[in-house]
Amino acid sequence: MRSPRFLTVTSRVFKELRNDRRTLALIVIAPVFAMFVFGLAFSGEVHDVPLIVVNQDQGAAPVPGAAIVSISGKIIANLDTKTLSISTESDPAKARSDIEDGDAYGALVFPEGFTASVVSEPSGATTSIELLLDKSNINVATAITQAVNEALLETMDQAGEKPPVTVDMVAVFGQNAKFMDFFVPGIMAFTVYLITTLLTLITFVGERTSGTLQRMLATTLSERDIVMGYAVTFSLIGMGQALLLLIIAILVFDISVVGNVLLAFLVIALLAVVSQAMGILLSSTARREAQAIQVLPFVVLPAFLLSGIFWPIEAIPSWLRPLSYLVPPTYAVDASRAVMLKGWGVSEIWIDIVALLAMAAFFLTLAVFSLKTRKD
Amino acid sequence: MEAESTENAIETRGLTKRFGRFTAVDSLDLEIARGEIYGLLGPNGAGKTTTIKMLCGLLKTTDGRAQVAGMPAGDRRASADIGYMPQEVALYEGLTVHQNIRFFGRVFGLSGRQTDEREEELLEFVNLAEWRDVLVARLSGGMKHRVSLTCALVHSPALLLLDEPTVGVDPELRVSFWDYFTRIKGRGRTIVITTHYMDEARRCDRIGFMRDGRLIAEGTVPEIQSLAGKEDLEDAFMVLAERSEGGEAA
Ligand SMILES: Nc1ncnc2c1ncn2[C@@H]1O[C@H](COP(=O)(O)OP(=O)(O)OP(=O)(O)O)[C@@H](O)[C@H]1O
Ligand SMILES: [Mg+2]
Repeated sequence: MRSPRFLTVTSRVFKELRNDRRTLALIVIAPVFAMFVFGLAFSGEVHDVPLIVVNQDQGAAPVPGAAIVSISGKIIANLDTKTLSISTESDPAKARSDIEDGDAYGALVFPEGFTASVVSEPSGATTSIELLLDKSNINVATAITQAVNEALLETMDQAGEKPPVTVDMVAVFGQNAKFMDFFVPGIMAFTVYLITTLLTLITFVGERTSGTLQRMLATTLSERDIVMGYAVTFSLIGMGQALLLLIIAILVFDISVVGNVLLAFLVIALLAVVSQAMGILLSSTARREAQAIQVLPFVVLPAFLLSGIFWPIEAIPSWLRPLSYLVPPTYAVDASRAVMLKGWGVSEIWIDIVALLAMAAFFLTLAVFSLKTRKD
Repeated sequence: MEAESTENAIETRGLTKRFGRFTAVDSLDLEIARGEIYGLLGPNGAGKTTTIKMLCGLLKTTDGRAQVAGMPAGDRRASADIGYMPQEVALYEGLTVHQNIRFFGRVFGLSGRQTDEREEELLEFVNLAEWRDVLVARLSGGMKHRVSLTCALVHSPALLLLDEPTVGVDPELRVSFWDYFTRIKGRGRTIVITTHYMDEARRCDRIGFMRDGRLIAEGTVPEIQSLAGKEDLEDAFMVLAERSEGGEAA
């Protein structure tokens, strides 16, 4: 039983990679590196934000003659010290100038007689605290606001006061989901896309410049065999990378996967096929290895920004959104995320799969065609 | 696989290649018989490589037709009968000698065992047996050429198209190459070879002398010598080249 001829190309590319430690390292280390860097940097949690507390409140007795209490003190005690790094200050003007100087992101100012007014006000009336914020950094400002609100709610709760309306959150999907759970499928798709495109691009420019492509085309191998041989190689490598990422994500970042991992791998493999076809196609625009670098921004940036790795497609301006649907990783990110986080199956993600299949067919055809038209 | 033995291994009529407005090969008529060693000679840029690339289907012909190994040039069905050695080295530098040879054997459908047998034999012939497991990137230029020749021979093709196979190869080994060519010719193989060496030209059955894309003289060595009236081949080509230029001016 003879194996199909394109497998000779597959096995040759694997041998080349095996002999080439650097590239091997790129394949193995780059995705892991990307996951750690992005995973830790973009974890979405804000830590140790400097916040100044100015407490001018002297406290008050809730009923005449009772012990003096300080509601401001309770609120301060309830502030989340993981998110915030709290320092105290007596002069509100000094706090303000600290923010202006960039020494703090915010200042929480309790006015004089705060507890007294809270205790004595008839219900319905309000007393206010002042929160000075550096809103130039939205993430940090939001984190401070949220921490202060939570401290207020908790203090009220401890005092037995109930807010008039509460929101009960029910997780339909992603119970206990962390940022990494959301992020890992994205980084999986992105690194496989990037490394596959890059690797085929570089390998193929090499085949063109060294003359080995012509030499192959003078054998009984057809253009299709060559493209197929590469496709098999890189879909296997893509799945290997996805597996590696998943293992590390589970062991190190403790992500939870609810769906069928094999289905997610299949999606990633499809993406790898699309990517390698793009790599071959792009190689026809470069005559030397160095020229291959020039197309890099066009490969990386759209996928990085538009495919929904870091923020959902819904967060992309509607006029840009059609572009999102033109970058292959978009479908793989969406599908593998749905599979891993929501446990969806083929019947739910079929649109993504069809889109990837269509793209694969399109780019593979173009890649075969690009090899044929070189014989001018 | 072999077509009728009466047929020529290569036949071209008016074979022409133009790159834009530049004519690299100008209506070439060739008839190369089976079992013949045919030498293509000519100065740099004469169109030898372009001719060979058209014959193995790597370049589309602009005009004319070519029949190679019983098929129109470029027909995939003939590929298995052709062994092509490009002028540039065209090997996988990141693979070992063995891995390169194995790949070019496998793409022609040889089994692992078959390629291994051929490899042993051929590496012996090009004197690289000890270099089998060395990366091609680590070889000297001449050694790379020898490996490249091995890759063209691995599937024992009936027709060899060798573009300057002996460039950079030391004299002793060049002699043994030619002994080998003569030997496989005896087994019915056809060899088309381009070269700049006159001693190699002398070992060809017939030579074709190309200049500016045209075949300006063709024949056996004695025929060429008498045509030019010169004993020395180098001088003969000079005379023929001048004559063709004169003919152009007239
Ligand atoms: N792809 C191409 N585009 C444009 N011109 C080309 C191309 N390939 C070859 N040529 C031109 O065709 C002519 C013939 O080139 P060719 O390589 O066939 O010469 P050659 O006889 O093999 O020379 P050499 O002895 O240096 O190998 C040259 O003038 C070359 O510049
Ligand atoms: Mg040449």
